[in-house]
Amino acid sequence: MSHAEQEIAALFDRELGGKILRTGTLQPGKLFVRVVAGAHRDAVRALLESDGDAGLSALTGLDLGNAIELMYHIRTRKTVVTIRTEVPKGSAEIESITDLIPGAEFHEREVADLLGVKFRGHPNPKRLILPDDWPEGLFPLRKDAKLAAPEMTRSASVSSGDVQPPDDGKLVSIVFGPQHPALIEPERFSLKVDGEIVEEVEPRIGYVHRGIEKAAEKRTYLQDIYLVERVCGICNACHTACFCQAVEAILGASVPPRASYLRTLILELNRIHSHMLLLGHAGFEIGYETLFQYIWRDRERVMDIVEWLTGNRVIASFITIGGVRRDLQDETVSKIKRELSTLEERMGFYRRIFENDATLKMRTKNVGVLSREDALKLCVVGPVARGSGVKMDVRKDEPYAAYGEIPFNVVTYSEGDSWARFMVRLDEIAESIKIINYVLENLPSGPYRVRAPRTVPAGEAISRVEAPRGELFYYVKGNGTAYPERVKIRTPTFANILSFVRIAKGGNIADVPASFASLDPCFSCTDR
Amino acid sequence: MSLDLGFAFRVLVFPGFAFVLLLTMFCDWVERKVEARMQNRMGPTYTGPAGAIQPLADFVKLLAKEDVIPVETRGAIFRVAPVLSFSFFVFAFLFLPVDGANAIQNSNFEGDLIFVLTLVSIANFFLFLSGWSSTNPYSAVGAARVLTQLLSYDIPLFVLAAAPAFLAGDLSVAAIASSQDIPFLLLAPWTFVLFVAALQAELEKDPFDVPDAETEVVGGYETEYTGRRLAFLKLAKDVQAVLGAAIAVELFLGGPYGPVPFGSSTLWYTLWFTLKVLAVIMVSEYLTCVFARLRIDQVLAANWRALLPLSVLSLVATVALGSWIRRLTR
Repeated sequence: MSHAEQEIAALFDRELGGKILRTGTLQPGKLFVRVVAGAHRDAVRALLESDGDAGLSALTGLDLGNAIELMYHIRTRKTVVTIRTEVPKGSAEIESITDLIPGAEFHEREVADLLGVKFRGHPNPKRLILPDDWPEGLFPLRKDAKLAAPEMTRSASVSSGDVQPPDDGKLVSIVFGPQHPALIEPERFSLKVDGEIVEEVEPRIGYVHRGIEKAAEKRTYLQDIYLVERVCGICNACHTACFCQAVEAILGASVPPRASYLRTLILELNRIHSHMLLLGHAGFEIGYETLFQYIWRDRERVMDIVEWLTGNRVIASFITIGGVRRDLQDETVSKIKRELSTLEERMGFYRRIFENDATLKMRTKNVGVLSREDALKLCVVGPVARGSGVKMDVRKDEPYAAYGEIPFNVVTYSEGDSWARFMVRLDEIAESIKIINYVLENLPSGPYRVRAPRTVPAGEAISRVEAPRGELFYYVKGNGTAYPERVKIRTPTFANILSFVRIAKGGNIADVPASFASLDPCFSCTDR
Repeated sequence: MSLDLGFAFRVLVFPGFAFVLLLTMFCDWVERKVEARMQNRMGPTYTGPAGAIQPLADFVKLLAKEDVIPVETRGAIFRVAPVLSFSFFVFAFLFLPVDGANAIQNSNFEGDLIFVLTLVSIANFFLFLSGWSSTNPYSAVGAARVLTQLLSYDIPLFVLAAAPAFLAGDLSVAAIASSQDIPFLLLAPWTFVLFVAALQAELEKDPFDVPDAETEVVGGYETEYTGRRLAFLKLAKDVQAVLGAAIAVELFLGGPYGPVPFGSSTLWYTLWFTLKVLAVIMVSEYLTCVFARLRIDQVLAANWRALLPLSVLSLVATVALGSWIRRLTR
């Protein structure tokens, strides 16, 4: 056990005393502590008090047969600590932690929907993911759930995510989505507005939920690589990297250095691609169509590079358990470098536009402000957190792939408005280009993959990757077969979407699309 | 009878209705092509040489589409608003000199500048009515935005249009246009700059295109329209754009008048007129391309805080320098 872990273990001993059932590690470096039911709140509180930047990474529910295990993955500055507790399956109820961590709201609602755990004291215990007419008492992620054609009935007792009609006649409901030109993907946001000012926001997700977590249990690890890749097309390599890292941790396999560097390469290409896509989209949302067209055309350069590297433009199918699937040829390296230098020049041009253009700044400066305190409370991740001055980046905090060896800066802005979030992404593209150049110049020789066994021993692991939209979190549990027991995916947008409620409140309704776009929401990720 | 036939030809074919339609389609194509090139795109390429008849193809396609009238709409107004709006824009065009005279053979009257601007306002009001009668929340918001924006930007537009009238000492469009031996653009450039800004707002183009900001209000006042009526609504918008440019040409660029090296003046004047209109459209497209869309409150603030005071100031300046400027022209 490392020094930091011993400190946290000692902290738990001091604060919780006899309520600890067991302390151990999921995988080397990942501490967990099993507490008696009800003591999870004390554990969370102790962690929050010892580390002001701590927040909830994910809440994993796991069906153990006769009990449901809940795992609160709390991220601290350097690592993730897991607090586990069990509730009996028959009366699955537990105290909510939303009063300690407001950002836990959606995490708890998701577990309530999918595993049927009731959270006492939750401020808004409505359905989040399952459709309103999903039968009551059928919880898809429970192992004994019979999912063959469930009978859909609109039951009156199920509280839907619908916004109730305005009661005082003053507020008007305006609905964004599930079909709306500002939302390319189908989710719904009901806004209660007073004139042009937004008073309340009620998000409802789940319109395109695909049950990927459940589907992953029915497929082999190898098939799951291609399944999780499809959680999100834009950041597909991040998902495969995160999943493969978790599986490799259970296997105890290590990746050859060349593969680590190649993984870093594709991950950074993903980041550039995703950020450029968003910046162009932001231009579209604020009616700056020229910017949109320019950036998206330059984005093609990144797509070309991804194609040279992996053979595909979008879904890379590049990373696999034990390494990567293709090697990088020497002649491609010079081609990539040439393309990147052009891209770097273009990004300088876009940065000047974002810094200087008057109309663009009028629409983004001081719009959708998220303070640092709120960012921490709501557990936001990625550029949203960094735009609010929270210096958080998994690449630095807990280096994976080759990030430990590569020099780069974590970009933060303190303004917390839409403009700051766009600037974070612009500067990150510049950093990514530097990282890629470093990778290309310092690419180690040697094999690019090791053969990994198809069967994975019993064990569990968590894995984190800094996806373009923020921290991506996977929990994988193996049971000794070729099929995983549980794959938990917490995507960055799922963590960020709650902050939209805070950002939109009190703002102008015309700012809703732009400030929403500044979060870079990906519903494909959210509805995995 | 021969006179009547000539009159009918002028109103219906050249330089009246048919010419206006042709010019509109042509300008629409140039607009799309130029905007596309500015935005690093191709623009229309498929229909006709370099996509030149794409606007016509789009129009014909819409005419052939099913015409759906939602039950909840305010029937009669919803049906006629697009056509009326289109007609008023075309009607206003008939008062602008194109081939040296306007379509109604210069039977203009003292003060037809005010008449033209009023016709434009009425046509704009029908655009508002088309959205208002749709009884769709997005249309309603879009229509409300049209109305707010037009009401506020009409004032600076009228004030700015008064400056050329003052310089020419006449309120008829033909007289203003023909009095510009040196275009007013050169004599009072500040007025032209402000006029173009007000025009951008009138034409609902960036940075003032809030009424049809699709990410906020979907289709704006067009949301519920389909088929023929949508075709006319779109055509009305296109005529509006050309008309706006044409008014700017008449007031600041010397109208259709220009050198006639040889042959018939009708052909040359029409050519100069078209080229000048295209020049104004280019400027307008350039502005559209380099700005982001403002918010409705920012649009209004831009008017009340900047454009309106500046317009009044510019009129005062024009009046103050007027006698001196007029001496220059003679």
